[in-house]
Amino acid sequence: MLKVEHITKYYDNNKAVDDLSFEVPDGKIFGLLGVNGAGKTTTFRMIIGLLEPTEGKITLDGKPIDYDVTDTIGFLTEERSLLTKLTVKEQIIYYGTLKGMKEEDILRELDYWLERFQITEYKDRKIKELSKGNQQKVQFISAVINNPKLLILDEPFSGLDPINVEMFMEAIREFKKRGSSIIFSSHRMEHVEMFCENLVILVKGKSVLEGELKQIKKEYRKKNIHIKGIVDLEKIRKISGVSKVIENADEIIVKIDNDSIVSAVFEVVKKGKDIIEFSVEDPTLNEIFLSKVGESYEK
Amino acid sequence: MKNKLKFLTKQSLDKKIKTKWFKGVNILLLVLFVLIMNVDRVISFFGGDFEEQITIYVKDEVNVYDSFVSSFESTSEMLGESKNFVIEQTTEDLEVLKEELTNTTDKILVHIYPDEANYMKASIISYEDIGTVSTQLISSSINSVKSLVAVSESGLTEEQINALTTPVEIETILTNPDVENQAGKDIVAAGVMLIFILPCFFLLIMLVQMIGAEVNDEKSTRSMEIIISNVPPKIHFLSKIFASTAFVIIQGLLLILYGGIALIVRNMLGGTGLAAVSGEVTSQIGEILQMVKDTGVFSLLLQGLPIILILFVLSFIAYAIVAGVLASMTTSIEDFQQLQTPIMLIILVGYYLAIMAVQFDGSVFIEIASYVPMLSFLLSPVLYMIGQITIWQMLLSTIIMALFTWVIFRYGLRIYKVGILNYSSSKLWKKMFKSLKQK
Repeated sequence: MLKVEHITKYYDNNKAVDDLSFEVPDGKIFGLLGVNGAGKTTTFRMIIGLLEPTEGKITLDGKPIDYDVTDTIGFLTEERSLLTKLTVKEQIIYYGTLKGMKEEDILRELDYWLERFQITEYKDRKIKELSKGNQQKVQFISAVINNPKLLILDEPFSGLDPINVEMFMEAIREFKKRGSSIIFSSHRMEHVEMFCENLVILVKGKSVLEGELKQIKKEYRKKNIHIKGIVDLEKIRKISGVSKVIENADEIIVKIDNDSIVSAVFEVVKKGKDIIEFSVEDPTLNEIFLSKVGESYEK
Repeated sequence: MKNKLKFLTKQSLDKKIKTKWFKGVNILLLVLFVLIMNVDRVISFFGGDFEEQITIYVKDEVNVYDSFVSSFESTSEMLGESKNFVIEQTTEDLEVLKEELTNTTDKILVHIYPDEANYMKASIISYEDIGTVSTQLISSSINSVKSLVAVSESGLTEEQINALTTPVEIETILTNPDVENQAGKDIVAAGVMLIFILPCFFLLIMLVQMIGAEVNDEKSTRSMEIIISNVPPKIHFLSKIFASTAFVIIQGLLLILYGGIALIVRNMLGGTGLAAVSGEVTSQIGEILQMVKDTGVFSLLLQGLPIILILFVLSFIAYAIVAGVLASMTTSIEDFQQLQTPIMLIILVGYYLAIMAVQFDGSVFIEIASYVPMLSFLLSPVLYMIGQITIWQMLLSTIIMALFTWVIFRYGLRIYKVGILNYSSSKLWKKMFKSLKQK
């Protein structure tokens, strides 16, 4: 289990991370979210031991992060971190050896992943000759070649088409089943929603929302009412607690401040015509994210 | 961690050596070495006017023909030009002879005739300019003839004439016990420059640029983050230093090997053993080697070689450290190329001081500079070989260099640790100076 306890990081007088704490149990996927410059990269760098926290501590299975522990961590960086003049095989041997693996083990794992990602023909090709998507696959393989205990994925789906995104998702779920702790960061909230049981949202290095995703959604008071049919939208707009009414081509979305507004909206919808759907849904993570980040910036 | 250091060093070295460029450049170097060592044969192979044998017709009206021939042959033999000339006496009419010279470049007419005031005069007649060597040979032979005539007319005995005409034996005696003979000082200095300093100069430039390119490549691709999350910066830094130092040593040894191959090729082309390696050139090389040997340089070299080699290796390491630190501070190869200029200037200063060491014999400034780290490896061996400093002074330079290398590694590593993960050039120097205080 990864345990991050009250870590703070200063660059000169600039506080990049402010008293951040979270835990990632084995077999769980944790979302670390935030806009650019929120402190995600600094947090990742502290977890993999590249930076020392100014305050606080980080442990993996109770051990502080050192060069013995980092052999059990896999890190996929947001930018391509590949030596593009090397071949795929050379690159993976390079990173695998730095993880303390033997060459025969690396090659066995490499063959497995190349097969799985359907890029076996690129094994001896130089990385610079590969497409962006295939480079990302190689980068992913380099991060998981050591079957990591802790897997850090910073924007793993960058440059991938939907088919390859699905392929990556399968692989990530497999690591979850194997019991790896996974930290996941993405600007695509639908991906985070698909994966993460727990998450933290960072704004200016500080956590503004943290906890279990289901609970966060449940506790988030604002809801969305989806309506399909003909209703008097003016009447709905006048109801106190309705923040926004969106008219899409095939449905109407009514954004309400809390559950108590539902019955008032329902009363108006009942008087409508050809109603085929009336459902109350939790907000998307994207909405929660925008709302929380927006609030923090306003503060 | 030792295995990781070994692996990173091997990777870094392979990146430099196991490339088609390395192989291509080394094949080219080998060919160049062989060509340079056999340049006289290459020139001969393609031929030219220099191969023509020149006939010198002597129209002698003073009766000194035999003395002229004797003097000319001894002088031309001394200069290695004897094969190029044939001398013939002629009594034909001068105008007819001049006519025969028309449109030829391989005939010269020397007309020696009496003169009341100066005993004799001479004309050198040719269709075109005969060049400095031929003119000098003929002039000095005629002057020599005149001296001989003067001596023989003086009424001296044959023994006295012989004694007067024999070249003066000059013995060089040096009172400095550290140097046996300094007659070949210039040759020794030129040899040290050619064999040690010049290759080192080029190898150092390669070393500095290779480290810069490698560190920048790892930084710009962000693979540095993955590497440093798995190995400490110290191990990474050491691997770069070891690999680049190993590279220059390997390349240096290869250059020595190419020199050897070039000599063997020369020997084989010469045909009959080392002594006959290409006639006159070889005999000239032999003379030079003998002169160098007389200076006692070989025994000096034998005594000083271990220290010279240690000094070189230490200097390569020091330059690798400085280059690595500077590369870690930059975020692109263009920035590094600008930042490496001071290193290049230091190497150039050492190089020029080494050249000037012979001109400014005994210069206190150059002697002091030979103790300065980063310059000492260029200056100390030259000063030692030409006898300006002793082996103990060179040893002192080496000790100073070793201490300096240790200090720059210790403090350079602090900058390197921060630099390799720094991607911003904002407040760069402040960050680097601050990192010096961090342990």
